[in-house]
Amino acid sequence: MTGFLQAVAYGLLQGGLLALVAVGFSLVWGVMNVVNLSHGAFVVLGAYVGLLVNQRLGLDPFLGMFVAAVALFALGYVVQRFVINLVVNGPIFITLLLTFGLELLLTQGMNIAFTANYQGIQTTYAGTSFAVAGVQIPVGRLLAFVLSVVVTVALVAVMNRTRVGMSIMATGMDRGAARLMGIRARHVYALTFGIAAGLAGMAGTMIGMVGTFNPASAGGFTLLSFVIAVLGGLGNMYGALAGGMLIGLVQALGGYFLSGTWVNALAFLVLILVLMFRPSGLVGKAFYSARLEV
Amino acid sequence: MSGTPVLATQGLTRRFGGLVAVNDVTMSVPQGQTLGVIGPNGSGKSTFINLVTGHLRPTKGSVLIDGKDLTDAKPWVIAGARVARTFQIVKPFRGMSVRENVAVGILYGPEGTGRMAPALRAADEVLGEVGLGGSGDKAPGELSVADARRLEFAKALALRPRLLMLDEVMAGLRPAEIEPSLALINTLKAGGMTIIVVEHVMKAILAVSDQVMVLNQGTLLMTGSPREVLSDPRVIEAYLGQKYAQRQAGGEAGA
Amino acid sequence: MAAEQLRYRPTVRTATPWALGVLLVAAALALQTQLYTGQARTVTAIFMYVALALSWNLIGGYTGYASFGQVVFFGIGGYFTAVAMTHLGWSFWVALVASGLFAACYGALVGIPLLRLRGHYFAIATLGMAEGTREIVTNLPELTGGGGGITLPTVGAAATTPYLGNDGFYVLFLALAAIALLVTGVISRSKFGFALRAIHQDEDAAAAIGINTTRTKVVTFALSGFLAGMVGSAYAFQQVTIYPERLFDVEITVLMVVMVVIGGSGTVIGPVIGAVALQFVSEWLRQNYTDIHTLLLGGIIILAVILLPQGLANYVREARRTGEYSLLANVRRYRL
Repeated sequence: MTGFLQAVAYGLLQGGLLALVAVGFSLVWGVMNVVNLSHGAFVVLGAYVGLLVNQRLGLDPFLGMFVAAVALFALGYVVQRFVINLVVNGPIFITLLLTFGLELLLTQGMNIAFTANYQGIQTTYAGTSFAVAGVQIPVGRLLAFVLSVVVTVALVAVMNRTRVGMSIMATGMDRGAARLMGIRARHVYALTFGIAAGLAGMAGTMIGMVGTFNPASAGGFTLLSFVIAVLGGLGNMYGALAGGMLIGLVQALGGYFLSGTWVNALAFLVLILVLMFRPSGLVGKAFYSARLEV
Repeated sequence: MSGTPVLATQGLTRRFGGLVAVNDVTMSVPQGQTLGVIGPNGSGKSTFINLVTGHLRPTKGSVLIDGKDLTDAKPWVIAGARVARTFQIVKPFRGMSVRENVAVGILYGPEGTGRMAPALRAADEVLGEVGLGGSGDKAPGELSVADARRLEFAKALALRPRLLMLDEVMAGLRPAEIEPSLALINTLKAGGMTIIVVEHVMKAILAVSDQVMVLNQGTLLMTGSPREVLSDPRVIEAYLGQKYAQRQAGGEAGA
Repeated sequence: MAAEQLRYRPTVRTATPWALGVLLVAAALALQTQLYTGQARTVTAIFMYVALALSWNLIGGYTGYASFGQVVFFGIGGYFTAVAMTHLGWSFWVALVASGLFAACYGALVGIPLLRLRGHYFAIATLGMAEGTREIVTNLPELTGGGGGITLPTVGAAATTPYLGNDGFYVLFLALAAIALLVTGVISRSKFGFALRAIHQDEDAAAAIGINTTRTKVVTFALSGFLAGMVGSAYAFQQVTIYPERLFDVEITVLMVVMVVIGGSGTVIGPVIGAVALQFVSEWLRQNYTDIHTLLLGGIIILAVILLPQGLANYVREARRTGEYSLLANVRRYRL
């Protein structure tokens, strides 16, 4: 029984972090209808930035993540403004391929710069834990979880309350209309991608603190982001939080009950089931029609 | 045979979440009749067509074509029953020539064989009928708005339909461009085709329709001759009230 | 997508393409005698990718359903052959055809639910399906050898079919590429091909003129699975020992997509051009810039997608029609 509760606790904590990984991906998809296959690479890049400032400057990951966020925001802005914007009106496999090319560039670049070895950001507290009713709660994961929830809530506030946020949401709903209202779509798209990359950077630093990573981890994060974004409903940030928790739980409980690597197939099973039966996500509705009526 | 209506619906209903787009519509069209369908924006006209052609599934009710229950039938089954339609937003097959656009319909229609050459010849004939005779080699994107609507028309005619459903084929056209379309509809009528015309252009509806059906907020308000519909106070209130009454006051009424 | 309105393909109805196809195959056979072993292996790999790219082109290029899990057919084709030859003692030739059929059935089975999904959802659902299938194969070690791989009986008494060797595989993969080319050529000029293009452009309109879109899509997905499944089968025999990681490698799917997009999707010759070009460039980069060749490949993909989004074959055809040769016009096409 304790083992089961332990799995639940671990799943929820991990799920919160996964939500932070996915929320930017969901935002980009919802607003621009771009499935960003390089999202996972941005997450891993964020982890390396967090690692570098920790090793060189001794910055704690909770400070380092802001460095990662700013650096990746700038990179994301430039990538969208000068590269992805060039094909954003194309058929889907065009944007899929372009972002895949980006992923190759980023992951291979990181391979060359940082090698393929697994690394992690060391702290004095992340490895410690305390017990609640026999269930061990690791401090680092708890902090990362709290941060994820806070950031998601803050993001929703920014999107709904600020001028920038509202222009992003307006552009996502109707680009033509937003343009007529004087919103510069090129800039707004770049901002959106920048914000998504910045969030990925934060998430990456947290990932680096609670575990290990290497450039090859990127693909897994992209796929999980996709599953979570679909589960939560595109562009729905609270939905991403719920989707993240669900996937975290599914994986943790799958690991508890199943043997071997069957657990790896679980996320895909959930993905396919959701697409079949509830393509607009568990909460809210999709921006774009997912399924044929006939 | 002539006694069975070409199209009949029983209590046809479609909900989108909380919205009832088409509500309990029971109607029928006898062989050879031209039925006009009018109603304000969002009154369920296009949804009604989509329910008949299988592009949407009804929440409740049934669709009978030639007396045969084809509720929930797929669009290609409906097309196989020789019910053709146009789309409100034109849907040409880009990447094919205008001639090929029509030829696909012929290949999959009742006269279709597997062979391309006769289909392309037949496509030229249909293009001639709708007044696109010289445009067979063009790309759909090169057509004017009026010609793009004609192509939509031609694609439907390629099925050699018994029932033709026209979803706003005259929307956005100038009066001079509407005339040929009206003439074409009258020619098809004379040939015995059953036609349902969904239209915003009041003048067009009145000119070609034998009967007019009025939808309002998804509900069938009334069916009658153009004259009856125009003089019915409910219709004037629901639909014509603002738009048409004003124009009538201006002295340019189409009736 | 207003710019796409100018895409229009007149149907060429002459014997030239057939003659060209025969010539290509004859040239490939003549080339074989002129190559060193290493070169022959490279060209064999090119044939493999030509066949795979053509298989993706049917569902992704003509029908417009961007399958990002196409490698699943390659993978299960290979594993079907491995299991049939190892456990059942089948001859390779029987297993080759059976693998294609098995992959086709698999395609029809998963296609019925998945082909109801549109756009990105279909793309990622197929990706998930492929990854999930790999996990299943990995987790059935008694049958498939699991993550440790499975070795086909190619030598000694257990061998059901003598190993083909470099020359044999050259001809085998060439034959598979030729079959894929023939199938594509026939479809592109047929009634069925028109249905695929109609579905690509507008599925509702296609259904309204009487095309059974569900059946057409499922048959096409199965057919593309058949072709890719046979290629996977041949690859498994060639490699002797196969692993789930390689046989279900996402990179193989992506290469198919890149090749088709670069060459020209929805054309017969485009995927051939794309596969040959990309494999050559990729091989050249591998030999000259060993450490950073994947990085450069990423850059090439980005440039190709931006400069030639409609692919080489479509670009040439349009440019000849409109007299507009500037690549910058291409950039304007999908730009924000």
